[in-house]
Amino acid sequence: MLRFIFKRLIAMVLTIWAVSIVAFAIIQLPPGDYLTTYMASLAANGDRVDPAQIEALRQRYGFGEPFLVQYWKWFSGILTRGDFGQSFEWKAPVTSLIWGRLGNSILLEGVAVMVMWLVALPIGIYAAVRKYSFGDYLTTIGGFIGLAIPNFLFALILMYLSYVWFGTTIGGLFSPQFEQAHWSLPRIWDFLTHAWAPILVLSTAGTAELIRILRANLLDELKKPYVTTARAKGLSEFRTIMKYPVRVALNPLVSTIGWLLPALVSSSVIVSVVLNLPTAGPLLLRSLTSQDMFLAGAIIMLLGILTVIGTLVSDLLLAWIDPRIRYGSK
Amino acid sequence: MRKDFVFGLGGAVALAAMMAAAVPALGQQQSPVLDAAVESGELPALADRLPSDPLVITPVESVGTYGGTWRSALRGGGDNAWISRTVGYDGLVRYDREWKEIIPNLAASWEISEDAKTYTFKLRDGLKWSDGEPFTSADVAFAMEVFQTPSYAAGSFMKNPNNKVSIEIVDDTTFKYVFEKPNGILLDELASVNGINPVSLPEHYCGQFFPGTNEAASEEAKAAGFETWELWMEDRCAWGNETIRYANPEIPTLMAWMVEEPLTGSATRLTFVRNPYYWKVDTEGNQLPYIDKLDMRVSDSVEEITLMALNGEIDYQDRHIATTINQPLFFDGQEAGGYHLGANVSAHSNNMALQFNFNHVDPKRAELFQNKDFRIGISHALDRQEIVDVVFTGEGEPYQVAPRPESVYYDEEYAKQYTEFDPELAAQHFTAAGLVQGGDGMWTFADGTPLVLTIDIIAALRPEWVDIMELVQLQLAGAGIKIEINNIDRTLYYDKRPAGEYDAQVWTGDGGLDVVQEPRYYMAFSDESVWAFRWVQWWQGTNPEIAEEPADWAKQQMDLYDQLRAEGDATKREALMKQILVIGKENFPVIGINLPGPGYYIARNNLKNVPADMLFAYLFPTPAPYDPFQWYFAAE
Repeated sequence: MLRFIFKRLIAMVLTIWAVSIVAFAIIQLPPGDYLTTYMASLAANGDRVDPAQIEALRQRYGFGEPFLVQYWKWFSGILTRGDFGQSFEWKAPVTSLIWGRLGNSILLEGVAVMVMWLVALPIGIYAAVRKYSFGDYLTTIGGFIGLAIPNFLFALILMYLSYVWFGTTIGGLFSPQFEQAHWSLPRIWDFLTHAWAPILVLSTAGTAELIRILRANLLDELKKPYVTTARAKGLSEFRTIMKYPVRVALNPLVSTIGWLLPALVSSSVIVSVVLNLPTAGPLLLRSLTSQDMFLAGAIIMLLGILTVIGTLVSDLLLAWIDPRIRYGSK
Repeated sequence: MRKDFVFGLGGAVALAAMMAAAVPALGQQQSPVLDAAVESGELPALADRLPSDPLVITPVESVGTYGGTWRSALRGGGDNAWISRTVGYDGLVRYDREWKEIIPNLAASWEISEDAKTYTFKLRDGLKWSDGEPFTSADVAFAMEVFQTPSYAAGSFMKNPNNKVSIEIVDDTTFKYVFEKPNGILLDELASVNGINPVSLPEHYCGQFFPGTNEAASEEAKAAGFETWELWMEDRCAWGNETIRYANPEIPTLMAWMVEEPLTGSATRLTFVRNPYYWKVDTEGNQLPYIDKLDMRVSDSVEEITLMALNGEIDYQDRHIATTINQPLFFDGQEAGGYHLGANVSAHSNNMALQFNFNHVDPKRAELFQNKDFRIGISHALDRQEIVDVVFTGEGEPYQVAPRPESVYYDEEYAKQYTEFDPELAAQHFTAAGLVQGGDGMWTFADGTPLVLTIDIIAALRPEWVDIMELVQLQLAGAGIKIEINNIDRTLYYDKRPAGEYDAQVWTGDGGLDVVQEPRYYMAFSDESVWAFRWVQWWQGTNPEIAEEPADWAKQQMDLYDQLRAEGDATKREALMKQILVIGKENFPVIGINLPGPGYYIARNNLKNVPADMLFAYLFPTPAPYDPFQWYFAAE
């Protein structure tokens, strides 16, 4: 097992390195750079910029340098000093910008994942066991509706309904007085009163998917002889189902845990923009449109690292719930 | 040098008004929120905080009461334009509320030498930064030194390579800008939104980041985690209206409000509190501003801001939400939200300026686009009224890119020429331009090569451009001209300009009211004159490798504008501008669609002293020239 983890760790480092090159290259692909975008936005406001000023900025930011030189400066800064570079737009170190927002992302989306699993697992099991019952159809239809409504639209509808019915504007994750505060019970409560909407939106789509996968897998398992044997031996129905078939049916869900975090961050970008959530998504979106290279690169790279870590976690979990994986490598 | 003090353009009137207003005792009252600090001795008494000649502001309707929070919203992080337009407008001089005259602000008076090379400014006596330190000529000189440092990226008239400027300090409150060449439009620049540049850098604070005043600045910058002093300076003491300036609550300011909660990358709101040293009073001698606090929600979501406004959570705003599409929504929501709509008269002369590229790298196309008959033909082929009705729900009227009716430069002929929809007339002009109509009714080049025009637009910037262009495409197809709509990203849009391969690009019709400052569609003026990008390079001397010699009429305009820049006399400048416009009208470089209908703002009903109608432009940064510091909340 240790050997397995060690091999995985080496592969992880190489993957992250490759991700950093690809991220940096992709961000540089569009024509122009931060300064052309900057000039464009000034022009859109009716402002004008002195060409000499732009030239001075261009030199300072090193835009004229070849790709590899720029990349190496950036990457060596991360390796040696943990310095992800300067954000052009914010004129501030990237590290000072991302941690808070990344924390919000992980918190919000972590809760959304938990809600998703808590809702989807019982429903999925129920739908499989009571196949073609009224309950099965009801949850299936509910699930498909959840899957079919685009997240941003759902968010918009929630905002509108909450304005019309309750006269409140939902948006953000905290009330003004709690934004800068430290965590405390009132702040957690405040978070929950704001976060229910994005959590609802983010978890509905995923819930449907989970229900369907679990239901299908479980249906396959329930037909297998070992289930019949277990029943014949007088095991209670609850234990019969939970002990083995559910465990096996969870396999494909667990093996994709690694993709959950990045998938949530990317799928939540538009929701976060619509609901104005201070998460990493909108920051990434804006840094890409303004070509704020180091900021975008840092976020993409951190998402890459999260994916890699998540994959490791899912491998370990998988080895734990499914012995075949543990022994299969021998 | 002549010793006549010029107070803006209509001096005597403004002077008389000020003398009349200055009669009551000054510095009588302050906001109650400051009382405790004064009593405890933390803050000097009001009389000691105000200059000896504070600027007396006549309220729009009535003298107000203190207190309240003005709530508005910023979209995303880099949205500094709203801050510039609400808080950041306090330069040496300012525009009056009619946008006709330039009136005193930080400078109590000024004097212009006859050759328009020397400007002598006299500051108010006893002005103070928001931390209580005096604001003097030395601060203006310091700003000049910083701006003129070659390695520091800051631009304005202070760093103009074509007309170098130096500063002479006469005494604490008097200084002179001395230009190499005449500069007739300095006051306009100083009264515009960019006017805060020379008064944005307090030497006693910013000096610590600048090697000229602190020899150890470079080492200290490294110790603070910045590679160079420039980066440190930019971070702590950004100039002018840079967004980053509002990320530092420590930087002293001369504005009515100062930053409380900063605008950082992770901020969800930006707040301001009153500047206890603000140097303006109302006609009864009460210190301004009336409103204690500003609270700007930082939101990526236009939907959220719109709902906040409908819900009465915005006290005054137009930016981002006052769109044509939202107008019925806001109109219906007035009663429930406790707000009302007021009028913003846009400075734009047109919703869309269609600019064919005179400097196309393909000589055949360049020749065609430079042919006036071709452009007249296109103009007559457009059914503008249909566009007005369909896209703008009937608001606005067919109009060329020409000065607006409110402008002194308005010329009905310029505004209306070639705007009637007349396909036959269009066909005649296409023939005159040397095009040939094929059997299928489509026009081709004389040699028979097909004519397809690609027009670049940025849908993300102005969604209505797409709606306009789709109608234009149909209408031109009806007239036998095939166009393709090329919706691209803004960066690419800019990158294409020097290469010269685009057929046409569109933009909004700037310069409808700010005719002199922004004549980009009347003449080849700046890089924003996309229709003649390479002519502009010839004039400016930048990018010599792509410069092209302009047509004679365009050169004549450039010559006139050079004279205008050098002219100290306002009436002579106006006459010169009119000559430029006559040439512009005659040569008709850019095609317009329609005059924008009236814009609007929304304001809570208890917010007082907001004029019902305002002129609206960026250089005239509405609502700032209408003095938000004299707005107040009436008791409900």
